[in-house]
Amino acid sequence: MNKKLGIYICHCGGNISDYVDVEKVKKAIENEEGVAMAKTTMFACADSNQKEMVEDIKSNGLDGVIVASCSPKLHQITFRAVTERAGLNKYNYVHANIREQASWAHSDDKAGATEKAIHIVKAAIAKVRYAESLEPIKIKSKKAVAVFGAGVAGMKAAIELANMGSEVFLVEREFFVGGRTAQWDSVCTSNQSGGEIVSELYEKIKNHKNIILYTGAEAESYSGSIGDFHLKIRIKPSFVKSEFKKENIEKAISVCPVEVDDEFEFNLKKRKAIYQNKESEFPKRPVIDNINCTRCGECEKVCENIDFSQKEETVDLHVGSILMATGFDPYLPETGEFGFNAIDNVITLSQFQRLVSASNKELIYNGKKIKNIAYIYCVGSRQSEGENKFCSRYCCTTTIHSSIEAKKKFPGIFNFHFTRGIRTYGKQEALYHESSKMGDIYLQSYENDPPVVDIQNGKTIVKINDILTGTKEMMVEADLVVLVTGMTPRAENSIGSLFKLPKGRDKFFNEIHMKLRPVETVIDGITIAGTCQGPKNIAESVNSALSAATKSFSYVSKGELELEPIVAEVDKDTCTWCGICSEACPFDAIKKVDYNGKAVAVINNSNCKGCGMCLPVCPSDSIELIAFSNKEIESMIKLLAKD
Amino acid sequence: MSEKNTSLAFDALVVGGGIAGGEAALNLATNGFKVLVVEKDLSVGGKMIHLSKVFPTLDCSACITTPKVSEISRHPLITIFTETEVKGIVKNGENDFDAKVVRKPRYVIAEDCTGCQLCEEACPVNVPDQYQYGLVGRKAAYIPFSIASPRVAAIDIENCTLCGACERACPTKCIDFTQKPVEYSVKVRTVVVATGFNLFDPVNIPRYGFGEYKNVITSMQMERQLAPTRPFHTILRPGDGKMPDKIAYVLCTGSRDASVGNPICSQICCMYSIKQAQLLMGALPMADITIYYINIRSFGKGFEEFYEQAKGMGVNFVKGKIGKITENAKGNLILRYEDINENILKEAEHDMVVLSVGVLPNTESEKLFVDKSLQLDEYNFVKQPEQLVSPAKTSIKGVFVAGTASGPMDIPDSILSAGSASSEAISYLNNK
Repeated sequence: MNKKLGIYICHCGGNISDYVDVEKVKKAIENEEGVAMAKTTMFACADSNQKEMVEDIKSNGLDGVIVASCSPKLHQITFRAVTERAGLNKYNYVHANIREQASWAHSDDKAGATEKAIHIVKAAIAKVRYAESLEPIKIKSKKAVAVFGAGVAGMKAAIELANMGSEVFLVEREFFVGGRTAQWDSVCTSNQSGGEIVSELYEKIKNHKNIILYTGAEAESYSGSIGDFHLKIRIKPSFVKSEFKKENIEKAISVCPVEVDDEFEFNLKKRKAIYQNKESEFPKRPVIDNINCTRCGECEKVCENIDFSQKEETVDLHVGSILMATGFDPYLPETGEFGFNAIDNVITLSQFQRLVSASNKELIYNGKKIKNIAYIYCVGSRQSEGENKFCSRYCCTTTIHSSIEAKKKFPGIFNFHFTRGIRTYGKQEALYHESSKMGDIYLQSYENDPPVVDIQNGKTIVKINDILTGTKEMMVEADLVVLVTGMTPRAENSIGSLFKLPKGRDKFFNEIHMKLRPVETVIDGITIAGTCQGPKNIAESVNSALSAATKSFSYVSKGELELEPIVAEVDKDTCTWCGICSEACPFDAIKKVDYNGKAVAVINNSNCKGCGMCLPVCPSDSIELIAFSNKEIESMIKLLAKD
Repeated sequence: MSEKNTSLAFDALVVGGGIAGGEAALNLATNGFKVLVVEKDLSVGGKMIHLSKVFPTLDCSACITTPKVSEISRHPLITIFTETEVKGIVKNGENDFDAKVVRKPRYVIAEDCTGCQLCEEACPVNVPDQYQYGLVGRKAAYIPFSIASPRVAAIDIENCTLCGACERACPTKCIDFTQKPVEYSVKVRTVVVATGFNLFDPVNIPRYGFGEYKNVITSMQMERQLAPTRPFHTILRPGDGKMPDKIAYVLCTGSRDASVGNPICSQICCMYSIKQAQLLMGALPMADITIYYINIRSFGKGFEEFYEQAKGMGVNFVKGKIGKITENAKGNLILRYEDINENILKEAEHDMVVLSVGVLPNTESEKLFVDKSLQLDEYNFVKQPEQLVSPAKTSIKGVFVAGTASGPMDIPDSILSAGSASSEAISYLNNK
């Protein structure tokens, strides 16, 4: 109770002091009981001030410290570390937020903001008086990481984690690895093929002793928390024996009567219910698509390698961290959107890339030789009406790259780009320049006046009011209209729901802080990489994958982790186990145990996040939250109510 | 020249102490490797530490940078040499590099300096402050800037008159004019190049009048005026100290412009200009802000929404490249441009013009290796031979690139690129 307190009021270089009179705050609190010293500082977080704090704590023998500054989200950890460096238990530090809660919120009322800041600091003083020294909860961390998604991001992350010395389980939902990159025949801006990239990475994965790859595999359930995740993985059977003869499989494919759209070709082609990997996909093996197979048995008659007795398998994984690299879906236009599914020569960018890749000598679509191609940009991105407000980042460059490829491969093609302003950022600008030099025509629509795709006299016409030629209405007779479709979050997101991963406004997975913690999520121990976090090109996906790998590795490398001791605590003597707390707990952290012959609740410390949901529902008031105890909170309320 | 030749050994040498170099150093050190960070400037923190708020979240830049800088400075496995230049690295073999670095004298005994600034008060010499981008002056004996790390005085010997006033004023007697450059031979096992970028100098576009018309400033000068540690505590135009109320931004100044030798897009100028426009609307609620652009490139996470927000706040966006700027008798600027939306030539009067200057390569990175074996790309950024699958790899095995040394990039991308470089470096160190 009789603590010696040190208090720092931060200017935040004007962020606070422009609206809150920090000197007045200091004066208002410096004579509070126990306050041994109070100071104002320009930037409390600056290195020089941190050093000064360490000196102050040591020389004044402080045993309670408060910094009144920004949100604890930003700097609570920073100042706890300062207290610790000064030899004081870090839980004797209390953070008071007078920026987000006072100066920024009340920039129109300086006197009021100052008054509020004083109250916030006083409440922090009331709290710090009761603050107790705590020791972190130490848990074992399994030196293994599960990576979900074996596209380019997931594969790179897996390889790097394995190189660093972690055991890696790479889990891919599809039967083959490679993700979207496998579908791209030529990638900008290195002129490699997607297949080359995938095969190089796959070779490393296959030969790495630390990596186990599961394809056709999905997470079914999970329990545990950072350092100690238990996952149940369900692996689909391929219904083909692992030893097979190529000619047998070819026979089986030819007799299979079921034809469905080939997703790899974005439905431009058909495949059978039994099919093989594409050249750019791995491992090389045939599989039977269980959803569409009718079990007619035709394939079995001609191929001895078919085995319908195969069963779904489950494996249990024990890992210390989870890395999500689940990728994106290309935007699928609605029927009628720029003529999609209504006019027969309107296709998406993804389809166009497959079409260029599959065509030789001549570019033919629907039996017609293609000469004029119209590209309509920002379809499904930067929507003013729809949900996708964001820019998909990769499409301008990719479209220009693909249009150059098409022009080189099929001489005589004319490209017309119906843009909303080209965004070939950075060195990608060179491609835009190259394309313009090759004679491609660039047009730009007004923001509220998009181009129109229409049929006139049996011909497909694209019309635009073009900014670049001074509002002239321009018309192009197009043999093919390519809708430049952007990236969207995965439509099938059961894995995100399973882990309760938060999403941003754009519905992609959200990082904690774009600059300070760009690959971490609010679920401790789960990192995000690649396009599941937002649109990115390949190099950007790789950078984020390696950053996430480094972060995930830091959770598991030492085999032990220290967790925040701010958890709930049950008074076993007064608890009478009604189970209400267990139902209220979002983290599955409360279990029933036997205690001296009666049933009581007990908290699993590594699952408990200290959210406090169990406290108010307890009918016997038997649960306390450490560091937010009743007496701490009550003393804060008492003080605030007194003034 | 050198006073002594000292030998040191580290696992990794990180060249450049900006946000990318700092992040890479921290990742390496967290994984148990001993790191030397060499920074040519007087403080670590790079360009980011001087920024106001950062897009698209409007976080205070200093609030993000200073704790990172602090974490780097106190990490037991990280050694930082400021005011130090790399004078040549030789690769002897895998995991075996010899680097020569020279630490220039600060003329202050850093360990004894308390940052009290009494030397600053005493010094009679006044020169333009490079950390405020010339907006105000500083002394020849000075603390680089208030949130510098280390926050220790230095003597600008070029401008010092050796009058001795600072020596007399210093309470800890830490000023030492006898300091000499110190050369170190450093053995390291891997190198991370995080040498950052240079800003385009708009003097090279004479028709914009920078350097001639006082009220034409660069975006970095505006950044300083908006920063928490700003020189004036408000926004002023340098010509007469008036608060401007009609500000123009000229995008693509020195970018996407083959005539000045920089045909590529700088990737950050659209966004920082939109950010500054939003901050200006807060600082000068009555001011009109116009952004003249070729294309707005708001491509990153949350960027397009940030652009829409600026439009919603009333920032005026005009599609058109500025042909010429002239000054009238009031010190106002006349911008001549083609309004692309209306397809006519126009002139507009503004009382202040901000040139959104682009990103240029820091060509010093080519000189890091004695035999110039670190290859540059056609734009003079560090070449990335495996740009897609291993963006951090360079032309030399065991040497990795982080941040804007390899091309224009915003802060989140620089940090991810640093994570990528440190990850590749750790793998390289592990596979000796």
